[in-house]
Amino acid sequence: MKEDDQIEALRRQLAEEHSMAQLGRLLAGIVHEINTPIGSILSNNQVVLRSLEMLKSDLEQLTGEKQAHARALVASCQSLAQVDKIACERISYIVRGLKSFARADAGEMQWVDLADQIAATLKLVQGQFGRRVKFENEVPATLPRIQCHPGKLNQALLNIIVNGAQAIEGEGRVTISAEPREGRVTIRIQDTGKGIPASARDRILRAGYTTKPPGEGTGLGLAISRQIIEDLHGGALDFISAPDQGTTFIIELPVEQVNRGDERQSSSASRG
Amino acid sequence: METNGNPVVLLVDDEEMVITSVRAFLSLETDYQIEGFTDPERAAAYIKDRPFDVIVSDYLMPKLTGIQLLKRAKDAAPEASRILLTGHADKQSAIDAINDVALFQYIEKPWDNMQLLLAIQGGIERTRLLRDLRDRMAELAAANDSLKDVHRRLIKAFL
Ligand SMILES: Nc1ncnc2c1ncn2[C@@H]1O[C@H](COP(=O)(O)OP(=O)(O)OP(=O)(O)O)[C@@H](O)[C@H]1O
Ligand SMILES: [Mg+2]
Repeated sequence: MKEDDQIEALRRQLAEEHSMAQLGRLLAGIVHEINTPIGSILSNNQVVLRSLEMLKSDLEQLTGEKQAHARALVASCQSLAQVDKIACERISYIVRGLKSFARADAGEMQWVDLADQIAATLKLVQGQFGRRVKFENEVPATLPRIQCHPGKLNQALLNIIVNGAQAIEGEGRVTISAEPREGRVTIRIQDTGKGIPASARDRILRAGYTTKPPGEGTGLGLAISRQIIEDLHGGALDFISAPDQGTTFIIELPVEQVNRGDERQSSSASRG
Repeated sequence: METNGNPVVLLVDDEEMVITSVRAFLSLETDYQIEGFTDPERAAAYIKDRPFDVIVSDYLMPKLTGIQLLKRAKDAAPEASRILLTGHADKQSAIDAINDVALFQYIEKPWDNMQLLLAIQGGIERTRLLRDLRDRMAELAAANDSLKDVHRRLIKAFL
């Protein structure tokens, strides 16, 4: 069936995004760990080169055989320190490359019709859960267009909708609604599933937390969704839940992306 | 809290190597008095009753984060300049906290010595200007008070 193929492709894409995200985190951790020792070596190297320069001029005052020997030693230390400098700059260059890879760029933002995106995402899950879960789309067609990374945002929506469907044992309902308010849009994804116990509340959004059997859940779905919604779009992800009464995930997104990303840090970091 | 002699610069990083390196560099290039701490709590104790011009802190440290430490530094010595020297992975949390502690500058590891030096120099200058300003405001307020007093006595004498 065509829909099955679509779902299989999406599943593969999700799995790939999960391992990319994992790799990204791993790389970010390595980069972080390497930067301190590299910073130290680069700094020491500069100090050593400067000191050798000073030592060399001090040696001008000396005379005789001892002076020649000392000058030769200084010269050889200088050339070694030069090599260290080049070697270290090369490591630093490689690490900078890893750094931008770990950031996993999502390309340009686009203006899209959110209602269309949600409808398309729902179509995908219907094939997988349609027999026992009823998906109700209550998103008004009048929702404003929003500025976002559509592929990433759909991935986050899909993660949350699939979680809702998976939380339902037997038959149930997943309802999606949305409303605009003051430059932001609030999306609600409500399920009639088993709910989230208060004791798990703090762990749910964390990477690696799963109650699903190995091979079925990686526990990365919500961590990635949160990253997409909050870090990438400046939105917010939250949920309300009570055992046996289902769960509602609430996504809040700004309609327009103003002054996000690099501009923000350079302007606020430089004045105290 | 005044520092009239050489500028006092505090370095806080749980990695000894960072302190050793930065200290060696600053000692070569400047006449600053450098105080290094690998334990942020000892730095926090130091700033309580001793003057300093600039504090340079790492972000991720055991016991106290750089932001928590800089917050205390802000309370203890509001005019002193605060610089965060930290790794890429802490970036977002660091940026989020910039406003809380009125950070003067944010420098990423691996740091560039010249950039670090410029930041510290700028920080010292800013600190000294702020202290100067504060002193002059106090003088002005005192002058204003005595003027008011003269005014009051004049009125009393002539009415
Ligand atoms: N709507 C929900 N109702 C009840 N529990 C939920 C719901 N959404 C998430 N959870 C719980 O949170 C855990 C983590 O969710 P997350 O999506 O991050 O990972 P996962 O679904 O287990 O794995 P994967 O990301 O591979 O799908 C789930 O295992 C589940 O226990
Ligand atoms: Mg999931």
